[in-house]
Amino acid sequence: MPTKKIELMSPAGDFESLQAAIQAGADSVYFGVEQLNMRARATMNFSMANLAEIAERCRKNNVRSYLTLNTIVYDHDLSLMKAVIREAQKAGITAVIAADQAVIAFARSCGMEVHISTQLNITNLETVRFYSLFADVMVLSRELSLGQVKAICDGIRKENITGPSGNLVAIEVFAHGALCMAVSGKCYLSLHTHNSSANRGACVQNCRRKYKVTDLEEGHELEIDNEYIMSPKDLCTINFLDELIETGVSVLKIEGRGKGPDYVKTITSCYRQAVDDYFNGTYTREKAQSWMKQMEQVFNRGFWGGYFTGQLPGEWNDTHGSKATTKKIYIGKGHHYYPKIKIAEFKIEAYPLNAGDRVMITGKHTGVVETTVSSLHVNDEGAKETAVKGDLCAFPLDIPVHTSDKLYKIVDVKEEQTT
Amino acid sequence: MITITQQRDKCIGCNYCVEAAPGRWRMSKRDGRSVLIDGKNRRGFWTVKVGNEEGAANEKAAALCPVKIIKLKDL
Repeated sequence: MPTKKIELMSPAGDFESLQAAIQAGADSVYFGVEQLNMRARATMNFSMANLAEIAERCRKNNVRSYLTLNTIVYDHDLSLMKAVIREAQKAGITAVIAADQAVIAFARSCGMEVHISTQLNITNLETVRFYSLFADVMVLSRELSLGQVKAICDGIRKENITGPSGNLVAIEVFAHGALCMAVSGKCYLSLHTHNSSANRGACVQNCRRKYKVTDLEEGHELEIDNEYIMSPKDLCTINFLDELIETGVSVLKIEGRGKGPDYVKTITSCYRQAVDDYFNGTYTREKAQSWMKQMEQVFNRGFWGGYFTGQLPGEWNDTHGSKATTKKIYIGKGHHYYPKIKIAEFKIEAYPLNAGDRVMITGKHTGVVETTVSSLHVNDEGAKETAVKGDLCAFPLDIPVHTSDKLYKIVDVKEEQTT
Repeated sequence: MITITQQRDKCIGCNYCVEAAPGRWRMSKRDGRSVLIDGKNRRGFWTVKVGNEEGAANEKAAALCPVKIIKLKDL
């Protein structure tokens, strides 16, 4: 059994997700600023002005911070790329995740730690040796089997392949999240059909739709039976995490900078427990099944083990969008917190809230907090069963709420469909 | 006359508007986003009035923009 600690890395698309990742026990987070990252389309990207706060929050919580700067880079991007790296270094960001050689070279020239992005599709030991001139950590291509990952990790130790720090190169793999029909994201489909390049972070995800095959000679249209033939299910490794850790990898990465803080919190918490249990010797496949049930509650396209387990390709999604078993419904926003009596007050802006409801509160400082409304106080009318739009309502909560916090009700998707 | 508007903060710097209408667009070397030449900024929306002769090229720029932040309006 490996004794070295595994680093669990979580996505942070915004401050809510960053806080959620920290709360859930991530060892490190990765995030993008401005448009030079693989989620350029996301409305919630950080800006350069946020770098200092991100670094500070991470430092306080002993979490490493990684800046993704991994799109293809044009000449007109060079000045911004350099400005972003300088700013990240000044702020105290731990490392830059890079793919383009211009980014790698500039970051190194500044003395900034570099991690090689999965966009470079590392699939063999010689490529690891090549990039070890520049980087201490490398993300492997998602298309490798457990055996191939192990061979690379063994090779690094056996041949003593070290990075600029003098330490052995650390291997990072994706442990959970969206998979793509292209080789590690190098896809042309979105650019071809919508002029919107995945390699500039602007993928429109048209692979996730349903397609027909047309016989051009006779005009027959064949709908591929209930399968979204270009949309793979999501990668999930928690049910064979012991085998994945035993390949010798150092970092487990969770995909999902475009997903919500509830996703980040749930997925990070499950993998945190699984990693800790593995090192305590209490990890079991039965526990893994219950973590998978928990993870099914947040955004997912169904789970499979990706290419790690050598399954035949063909684990396609059979629905459009998420298969999450729960859904969050916006209720209202934070209004006031009474710290002495630990009561949180919210303004209801949308759907009604009932005593007994399972709720989630998210916010830049709050991260993600889940609770059940044990009792409900509405306006000045005392205890009531229901609060409706326009009401000020209060219920007991151990954690302070802020006016920027949002209140959601969590409902089962099946229950929601029948009401 | 035509009004061209660009919601600049959403630009991802793909360069297509410059390819389609190089007389009206250029890439900023400062922040890697496209610049609407002679545009005036009002709350993040950059606007310029141009003659009809620029219509075709800028319609192409608007159609090619992957994040759909370029809008044309006939005056």
